[in-house]
Amino acid sequence: MDVFSGILTGFQTVLDPVNLLFCFGGVFIGTLVGVLPGIGPVGAMSILLPTTYGLSPVSSIIMLAGIFYGAMYGGSTTSILVNIPGEAASVVTCLDGYQMARKGRAGPALGISALGSFIGGTFSIFALVFLVFPLAQTALKFGPPEYFSIIFMSMIILTYMAAGSFVKAILMVLIGLILGTVGIDSVSGVARFSFGSTSLLDGMGLVPVAMGLFGIAEVLSNLEVEIKRSILETRIKHLLPTLQDWRRSIGPIIRGSFIGFFLGILPGPSPVVSSFLSYSIEKKISRDPGAFGQGAIEGVAGPETANNAATGGSFVPLLALGIPPNVSMGLLLGALMIHNIIPGPLLITQHPNVFWGLITSMYVGNIMLVLLNLPLIGIWVKVLKIPYRLLMPLILLCCLIGAYSISNNVVDIVIMVIFGIVGYILRKFDYEMAPLILAFVLGPMLEKHFRTSLIMSDGNLLIFLERPISCVTLIISALLLISTGFSYYRKMKGRVIT
Amino acid sequence: MKHKYHVIPIFFWIGLGLLVMILSYRLGLGGLRNPGPGLMPFLLGFFLCVIAVYFLLTFLSRKQTLEGTAHAEQGRIHVWRLWLVLASLFAYALLLEPLGFLITTFLVLLILFGTLDNRWSTMLIASLLTALIAYCLFNYLGVQFPKGILRGF
Repeated sequence: MDVFSGILTGFQTVLDPVNLLFCFGGVFIGTLVGVLPGIGPVGAMSILLPTTYGLSPVSSIIMLAGIFYGAMYGGSTTSILVNIPGEAASVVTCLDGYQMARKGRAGPALGISALGSFIGGTFSIFALVFLVFPLAQTALKFGPPEYFSIIFMSMIILTYMAAGSFVKAILMVLIGLILGTVGIDSVSGVARFSFGSTSLLDGMGLVPVAMGLFGIAEVLSNLEVEIKRSILETRIKHLLPTLQDWRRSIGPIIRGSFIGFFLGILPGPSPVVSSFLSYSIEKKISRDPGAFGQGAIEGVAGPETANNAATGGSFVPLLALGIPPNVSMGLLLGALMIHNIIPGPLLITQHPNVFWGLITSMYVGNIMLVLLNLPLIGIWVKVLKIPYRLLMPLILLCCLIGAYSISNNVVDIVIMVIFGIVGYILRKFDYEMAPLILAFVLGPMLEKHFRTSLIMSDGNLLIFLERPISCVTLIISALLLISTGFSYYRKMKGRVIT
Repeated sequence: MKHKYHVIPIFFWIGLGLLVMILSYRLGLGGLRNPGPGLMPFLLGFFLCVIAVYFLLTFLSRKQTLEGTAHAEQGRIHVWRLWLVLASLFAYALLLEPLGFLITTFLVLLILFGTLDNRWSTMLIASLLTALIAYCLFNYLGVQFPKGILRGF
């Protein structure tokens, strides 16, 4: 199937009223969780994942993807109007977006952020289509050693990109990998770490673990420290940016599209990283860097475009290789696997409706999001006024129902709550959850490819270095590990001396 | 920032790593030619121990130690809310099947709404309405809830 007929198939799939409804549902929920601080797209996706079991694979994936990219739109609204990021990728938008709103320019700030997001999102969808094909073709030649090395490199990049301590990120990756080994070993059929529990024989479910670590833990953290929200009392007018605004924003939007897309391909919290990188580049190359932080429209346009473009980039490794680069993609992988669909190089040929349906739904979803976030901005301003005391019980109830509905078993609720406590405690000690959950998802794949490689090579570890792609990937991983370890060592040494 | 209590999880990781190594060893490590089910977790447990010990050593070698616990102090004000919410979540798991979805959800929501609000009328109405709406909505989505003591109705 060529690209053109693929796109036609995709539009046929997504314009089916049911899929269109789920696409709208996804982007609506995405905007909602983006607007509301206290729950992010990962939490919302994990809560809603069990409800997609009864849906068709296309509908469920379209809805979950909509939550992911929809949250990027919604997050900017809270950043601009409340000075609190609705979700992590919009942190940097607070700097200039809120200042613009304080100067009575909330309209153009919201407008450029929605339109920039649309441009970034659209660019990334086109780039995704053209990159996935050659990558998937190349990936067809990959064997277990290549897959092992690529997954290994993903984990190294993940720790490299972690916002906090490098050592803590490695520890979280190891914990995630260990958790991934629970259940029946697929090669030998031996039950590992199930301690006699039949519920653990299939391994720990992704949904209760993710819901606990992201949904419950987030609520518990918010219970301690109340989120104080004061919405800027300003009239939102002139949502469409002026010609002067466009002239200043077009450069940041173009650069943000490229930065976001290419960073999105890399493992890690790419929407967050790309928005920060875009902001710092715009500030650096600006003729008037002093204006940044005072309400410069470039500081809103660039990062908001970048975080949306990153969402498209994130789909490249998932769709072409079957390797999720971030937690949201890990959840999408989980959702596809529930329907017996394995993402990877064969997805395009085996399930063209899922592949093209997803891609075209992102385009349709982006159009819906512009409409939701510009003419209907008033709704989201009202949503921002919903008090947390009403939201908290609803989030928890969704988690409880979500966990129970996985297999109508209360054990999943218990697992979720335990992981909620674990997540809450780990946050207290400044550990990041993303490396843990991603390693948990990737762990079984890593082990399978490692063991198959060893069986293939009759126990010769050199197989990983004898194959060119695997060798290059491992060398890059080693260099990253050495450079990060070295800078960590220097930092520690510096602290001891002082 | 370094707080004394940050050392607790490091000891936990070391203990966990050792435990994983012991349990994996019992599962069978196999060899490189034919890796056993315990090989991968054993290696992971080993690396967990090594990195945790390294982290412990660098942690202890740092000079600056803040005696106070900023996080703990910040959280102490509302710590009872945490216990209440956690207790209600565990109670939900315990009571869902014997009492059924509607009654358990109503009771737990009553506690959850009450955690951050103290107006009885609001709590009652919000809990009742939410339980009913959730029941209808998720039932429509195909989720099968236990009926519990309302089985005959």
